[in-house]
Parts: sequence; C-alpha cells; structure tokens
Amino acid sequence: MTVLLTPFKYIARLIAEGIMAVGEIAWLLIQIIKRVPLVRKNPELTIRQMVNIGVSSIPLLFITSLFTGAVAAVQSEYQFRGLIPDKFIGTAVAKMVLIELGPILTALVLAGRVGSALAAEIGSMREKEELAAYEVLNLDPLRYLAMPRFLTFLIMVPCLTIMSSFLAIIGGWIVCLVGLDITTYTYFTGVQYLFENMDLFSGLIKSVVFGIIIFSLGYYHGLNAGAGAKGVGQATMKTVVSACVSLLVFDLFIALLMFS
Amino acid sequence: MPNVIIDPNDVMIELKHLRKVFGKQVVLQDINLDIRRGETMVVIGQSGGGKSVILKHMIGLLQPTGGEVSIDGITISTPDFFDTRTIRKRMGMVFQMGALFDSMSTGENIAFALREHNPNLSEEQIQNIVTEKLELINLKPEFRSKMPSELSGGMRKRVALARAIALNPEVILYDEPTTGLDPITSDVINDLILDMQRKLHVTSVVVTHDMASAFKVADRIAMLYGGHIIQTGTVDEIKNSTNPYVQQFITGQRELPTGLEDGD
Repeated sequence: MTVLLTPFKYIARLIAEGIMAVGEIAWLLIQIIKRVPLVRKNPELTIRQMVNIGVSSIPLLFITSLFTGAVAAVQSEYQFRGLIPDKFIGTAVAKMVLIELGPILTALVLAGRVGSALAAEIGSMREKEELAAYEVLNLDPLRYLAMPRFLTFLIMVPCLTIMSSFLAIIGGWIVCLVGLDITTYTYFTGVQYLFENMDLFSGLIKSVVFGIIIFSLGYYHGLNAGAGAKGVGQATMKTVVSACVSLLVFDLFIALLMFS
Repeated sequence: MPNVIIDPNDVMIELKHLRKVFGKQVVLQDINLDIRRGETMVVIGQSGGGKSVILKHMIGLLQPTGGEVSIDGITISTPDFFDTRTIRKRMGMVFQMGALFDSMSTGENIAFALREHNPNLSEEQIQNIVTEKLELINLKPEFRSKMPSELSGGMRKRVALARAIALNPEVILYDEPTTGLDPITSDVINDLILDMQRKLHVTSVVVTHDMASAFKVADRIAMLYGGHIIQTGTVDEIKNSTNPYVQQFITGQRELPTGLEDGD
C-alpha cells in the first residue's frame, strides 16, 4: 500500500512546492513593485541593465527574427499556393508575427539568453555573499538589485519584441523577393491589408506579461540556487524550463482572453 | 598583542543562551559570550562548527532559534523579535571572500553605501572619504578605478575592509579574514585589523581557524566546540589551557591530547 501511495505523495509534494513557489514569487513581485517609485533616485542602475540586456540580445534576436519571418513566408506560400492571391502571403506573415510568433519567440529566446543569465548572476551573487553584503551595508537588495532588473525586463522585452516583429516582417519580405517571386509592392500591400491595431496591441500586452514571467523566474531561481557551480547551473536550467512552460501556458490564456 | 585600554564591565556585544537550528541540525546549542567595547575578540573552532553563524547573528543576518543578541545594551534579536536595520549602521562586516560588488569599481564599492546613506554629501566629499579609507588600508588612490576582478585575494579583502569602514562603524566583524591567503599577505591583514582597533577604536570580532592570526590580533579568544563556547580567555590563558579540546585545536592535532583535564 505504501509503495502504491509513493507516486501520489511525490505528486502531492510537487504540487505543494509549486503552490509555495507561486506564493513566494507573488510576494517578491509585490515587494519589488512597491519599490518602483524609488527608480528616480538611482536611474543609472536601471539604464545600465537596459543597455546590457538590450545590446546583448540584439544580435541573437536579429538572426532568429529574420529567419522566423522568412520561414513563415515560405510556409504560407507553400500552404496557400494556388488557393489565394500572393498578397495574402504578406497578410499571413504580418498576422502571425505580430500576434503570435514575434512575442512568443522573442520571449523564448530571451528566457534562454537573459533569463538564465539573471538566475546565474543572482545565484552567484548569493553564493559569493554579495547579497548579504548589501544587507550588511543597510542597502535593500530588492531596491538596488531586483527593481532595476524588473523594470528592465518590463520595458526591454516589449521593445525587443517590436524590433523582432519588424525584423521578422523584413525576413519574410527578403525571402519573397529572393525566393518566392513576390514583389515588394504585393508583399507590403498584404502586410497592411486586414491589419488591426489589436494585432499590435495584443502582441505588446503579451510581451509585457512575458517580461514579468522571465524576470520573476530568473530572479526567484537565482535567489534559491543551491551551493556551488552545480547549484547555479541547476538554477539556470530551472529558469529556462519553467519559463518556457509558463510562457506557453500564459500565451494560451492571454489568447483566450483577448480573442475568444 | 594590542595595546588598548578595555573596561571589562563595558559590554558592546552580548549573546545570551544563543541557539540556532537549521532544519534538524542544531548548529549552536547554548552560546553565552560578552564582547567588551574596544576589544578584539577572536572566535576559534573547527570549520562547519558555527563560527560564521555566530557572526551572522551579531549583524542581524540570522534570527536566533533561542536566546538573544544585544548590541550596546539594545536587544536586536530574539526568536520573536528582529530589528537590525538601525544597529547595522553602527557595524561593518568583512566577508570571507570579500563579497565585493563585481559590477562596480573599487572606488564605487566603497562609495556606494556612503552615497546612499548620506545624500547631503557632495561628490567631492565622497571621493575624499574614499581616498581616506584607501589610505587607511595602505592602498593608493589610483586603486579606486580597478575592478574587483583585477584584484588579488588579499587586495579584495583590503578593499572589503575599506568598504566596511566607509560608514565609520563602531564594530567590525571579520569572517575568516586570512583564509586562502599566503602567510605574508595574512600578516598584512592581521596588521590592518590591529590598525583599525588602534586608529578607529573599534570593537572587533574575528572568526578564524588560523591560530597565528588569532594569537596576533586577539585581546581575548573564545573557543567554539559542539555548539558551546567551551573556554574564553586571553591569548596566554588559551595557550596554557588544560582543556584537551582547546589544546587539540590550537596545536593542530588529529587526536585529543592525553593527561589534561576533561573540557566537559
């Protein structure tokens, strides 16, 4: 009987730990949001983070976005060949990119690139007692470390999503010109056709939520990293895995809320 | 040996029946320790014995499971009460690995807390204080632009000390200040600890298992064993202790010496 119960106990423990983690993350976010007004006293801390995260992410996003848009165009042309006019290739690419591919792919790339880096940074700061040093000097780590990073993710993820979506549309255009024999005029007429402000707006709303998710999980797993290189490595892995799952789940919920 | 007049009745830090349990592991059983104003108290004991845990209770990084911690007559923590923010302004701590802020230069490490806690100070005044603190630890002002990654282990600890004294603390806590350093650099750190006591008249608590360092800087030494302070005394008293655990530790023997009275 005990053997039979073991998997249930394991699952129950996992659920309990998950609920506790969600509670801790929510508490952490509330504490950080309370400190946001203090950003005006040390704006340089936030600006430094924005530059770091922005600059470090642009090359990777540049490549992934161009190729995402290009693949979207190729697939659309293949699926719709002979069924609809060519201009709808541009429409399909723009709709896919603005509503879905831009925000989610940018978020997934950033979860791997900067979410994991955040967990590693905070985990190693904890390991090297830098976090304790802040407290000993009566400096609030939530104000000086967490809040600038929170604002950075909150602002930079939407900004990078806009850049990424733009580049993806450009990627689609390039492949249309080079490989699909669709003119610039036809492609961009399609991009503008059926465009609604809601497409852009929903993508931006998603990217704001995604930014908060990536930050929360990166910071939380960094704070709870185990000892040594192994602990930091596990924290980065947990960040990427939990962020990818959470991003896709929240993507669905936002889509249901906004489009159903 | 330091040459500072210390009043035995003027207690700066008091630990009363301090007990700390992590999960099921009892790290500190019942710690009773008085540290007098202006003295350098060295806490010795085996690695993993709870020396750093004692230090972290003194500066309010940990809350006790039992007992209480008082600084200058003010109770800062008990199992039911924990208010350490005001007292921390009067204390500084040098961490084992320095714990410098890696993203900031040496000068910024020293200036950061100073700037945040004293918004009325001009940038020139702050830079003057940074220079003064660097001079106190025998480093040239040019060092302010170096990043922590460019510093050696000994330098990092010196900068950590400069950062700890930036806010003019009355108490400085040192967590294993000579661990990982060569004997000559260790002695430089020992001299700095003595310098701080003489020049700044601070109360110091040093946690170490480096006996050469302990004998050099201590006014008194407390030996931690099995979650208890088993003996407190001057350097000579500790050297001549008949407690076998103390003798085993200070002479660095694998086995308990025989022919001494039982420390328990």
